[in-house]
Amino acid sequence: MTQIVCISRGSLSRGRELAEALARKLDYAVLSREDLIEAAIEDGIQVGKLETSMMKPRAFTERLARERDHYLAFSTAYLCQRVTEGPLVYHGRTGHLLLRDVGHVMRVRVVADDEYRVRTTMDRLGVSREKALRYLSEVEEDRRNWARLMYGVSWEDASQYDVVVNVERMSVDNAASALVGMSQLPDFQMTPASRRAMTELSLSARARLSLARDPRTGSCGFSVSAHDGVVTVAYLPHDMEVAEHVPAVLKGLEGARQILATMASTTILWVQETFDPTSETFREVVEIAGKWNAAVELVRYVPDQNGGSPSSPGAYTTPSPARAPATAGIEDDVEEEHEDDGGLKATLDDLARLGRAGGGRFVRGERGSLVATCCGTVPRSLVVVGNLFVGKDPAAKVRLTREMRDALAGSMRVPVVTVDELRSHYLFGRGDALRLVAYLTVILLLYVLVFTHQTEVLDFLLARWPSGTVGSKYLVALAVFGFVPLVAYAYGQVARSMMKLIKME
Amino acid sequence: MEAAFLTEHFITIDFWSSVQVVVLGMVGGILSGFIGSGGAFFMTPGMMNLGVPGVVAVASNITHKFGKAMVGSRKHAELGNVDKRLGAYLIATSFIGIRIAVWINSALFEGGADGHGSGGSAAGDLYISMVFVCILLAVAISMLRDALRARSPEDDGGPSLRIAQALGRLHLPPYVYFRTADVRVSLWILMAVGLATGYLAGTIGVGGFIGVPAMIYVFGVPTAVAAGTELYLAMYMGGWGALNYALQGFVDIRLTMLLYLGSLVGIYIGVYGTKVVKEILIRIVTGVVILLCVVSRAVAVPAYLRQLGWIEMDPAWDAYLNLASKAMLFAAGMAGCGLILFHVVRSYRQRLRVQHRLTEARGAT
Repeated sequence: MTQIVCISRGSLSRGRELAEALARKLDYAVLSREDLIEAAIEDGIQVGKLETSMMKPRAFTERLARERDHYLAFSTAYLCQRVTEGPLVYHGRTGHLLLRDVGHVMRVRVVADDEYRVRTTMDRLGVSREKALRYLSEVEEDRRNWARLMYGVSWEDASQYDVVVNVERMSVDNAASALVGMSQLPDFQMTPASRRAMTELSLSARARLSLARDPRTGSCGFSVSAHDGVVTVAYLPHDMEVAEHVPAVLKGLEGARQILATMASTTILWVQETFDPTSETFREVVEIAGKWNAAVELVRYVPDQNGGSPSSPGAYTTPSPARAPATAGIEDDVEEEHEDDGGLKATLDDLARLGRAGGGRFVRGERGSLVATCCGTVPRSLVVVGNLFVGKDPAAKVRLTREMRDALAGSMRVPVVTVDELRSHYLFGRGDALRLVAYLTVILLLYVLVFTHQTEVLDFLLARWPSGTVGSKYLVALAVFGFVPLVAYAYGQVARSMMKLIKME
Repeated sequence: MEAAFLTEHFITIDFWSSVQVVVLGMVGGILSGFIGSGGAFFMTPGMMNLGVPGVVAVASNITHKFGKAMVGSRKHAELGNVDKRLGAYLIATSFIGIRIAVWINSALFEGGADGHGSGGSAAGDLYISMVFVCILLAVAISMLRDALRARSPEDDGGPSLRIAQALGRLHLPPYVYFRTADVRVSLWILMAVGLATGYLAGTIGVGGFIGVPAMIYVFGVPTAVAAGTELYLAMYMGGWGALNYALQGFVDIRLTMLLYLGSLVGIYIGVYGTKVVKEILIRIVTGVVILLCVVSRAVAVPAYLRQLGWIEMDPAWDAYLNLASKAMLFAAGMAGCGLILFHVVRSYRQRLRVQHRLTEARGAT
């Protein structure tokens, strides 16, 4: 049986009716966004203030960021809790995004024709057509902002959903019947892998919630992840003193067998097929993490048969990380339970020992699944695309890795590099040493020339040539225009290399 | 402000004065990396305190900004933080603003008696100082008010939206849509903002203090895109400003080069500082430093008034006022940078302590 259906409804799109009809037919419980918000307010979250801030273009302060963390943790924990109590139909805006790591969630988007929505608004609010149109447009805009700022996604993007239902020409009852049939598909059944994902999501959300509720830690921006019962809490350097309370706050958290606290200014995401803590890449990633004061988050990605490419142009991707490929059923995931974890746990342990663990995840499927997993709300500074597509021939491997890098770079506004680029861009190597010497020589030469010939330089700037004739001011202006970027670039390279050398880049 | 002039309006630069300019660049760079905006509010008055005529200080600084923005905007463009279309609209009008600023500054300088800072540059220096004081005072007060408001539990999360809301109610067609920033803005408001940004960049070198808030609060542009687009804009404004001032013979390339020595290193330290200092402290430190820079500039104003013959004062006081202004400016910059460096060093030490403890714990098990 399907355990959870998330219905994303637009304003006046009859999503509530559809959710209730579907729940009746499936004999599931129903949970609405309004119920969830009420519970969140009872938990002390200022949802109204959060909504107002999301809708307007204003600075997102630390306090609001904490309120958002609290809300996300609460909503995720609450939804997970309700699902463990029994199968559920949730209807609201973006419930599927709260559970995006869980593979068996059926994600439905409901839309209605504009004319119906306008007429209903006019009837309900008693306003003119023009005002009804403006009202609907503003409501949609607010919801779009909410999805973008809370989850970093476009709410209306059809690839976020498994099915989009238009109730313009289909009755709500028939639409519910169609969804009942769809919900019986093996793709939407809970598997051991998706159950594990749900357990880990619930554990990390409960841990984050505990930290948000506790007055000792409530004001800090933690990033929490859970893997195999190990809860990793990353915190910023300026929260160092508060973070000492983390183990005490999380003591006795149900399902947690170990609590790790890692100080981090940011997170480096490392995507690879199998991990090895003795590898050169591990050493390099840890070195950069040390320089940047960053935690390292691991994502073990195993591509599907197509090498991670979308199955056909224009096809919807399935952005749930733990979701099995289209042909997969329970058997595949059972098998996965007994597979080795590709060095994920051993690497996480070593990262924890070094104080750099940022959590780990496993993703299998096509490229869209990985991109959706990586595009979270956790701030990241770098994505390292490691050794992927190991079974492919070298040329295909290079092409697919490049495509993966481009796909991630297109979705995440942070630098995305391959392992080869890692060293050249971020670590001080022989090339950097040569570059430093070369640019330093150029800079020294330029500065010595200018400062030992100050009078001549100033005469030139005043367009007085050495011969005593008056030169063209335009030539002077063009010379300044060309010379300054040259100095800035050359000295910029020197400064950058020096900072890399002293690990302060 | 007494200074020895090597040629025309260009001062003599010896070892000691070059060290001071490098320090100005370093402090400006640290503050620039820390605030995320230009450090001209510190560097321009600092150079004026060294005896550099205001117009030369502004010209050299805008030239410095040109090269710096050229290096920095590439990074933002790679991250998709630049709305080039929005930048293009703003550039068009900002060029007019810069041209107006260059014309006023040059006219005031050339209208003086001897052009050597003793009356000749006084009118220009006074004008630059007054614009500096008025604009930066408003910026500092606004920053400090927001910072104090953010500490209050009643705070709703951000600066006032009254301007944006008021402008939103006005219907000023035609409107232009910008895809990267995902905003729709009236062409008239765009032109006004571009003109003001260009004028301030050309007059005192701090266009970003107007451009970035305007993009965020008036246009509704996301913060990262506003910062990236401003840097893109700064590159063109800096280039145009450098061309115009160089054409008038006001760019002192030596000052620009010395500023780079400090600023391009300082930026890295400032950016690192943002990772280890709380947001509220960043806002307070920035507000206080800018406020002290404003006071420092205001202290120098009576000397310009005396040189213009508008007030009676013993000329010996000029040196004292300049010294007080310089001391206050350096004290403000150094205190701000000291605080940032203190947090950077403390963070390093804490990190080492944690790593040591983790290693020990691992060894024990």
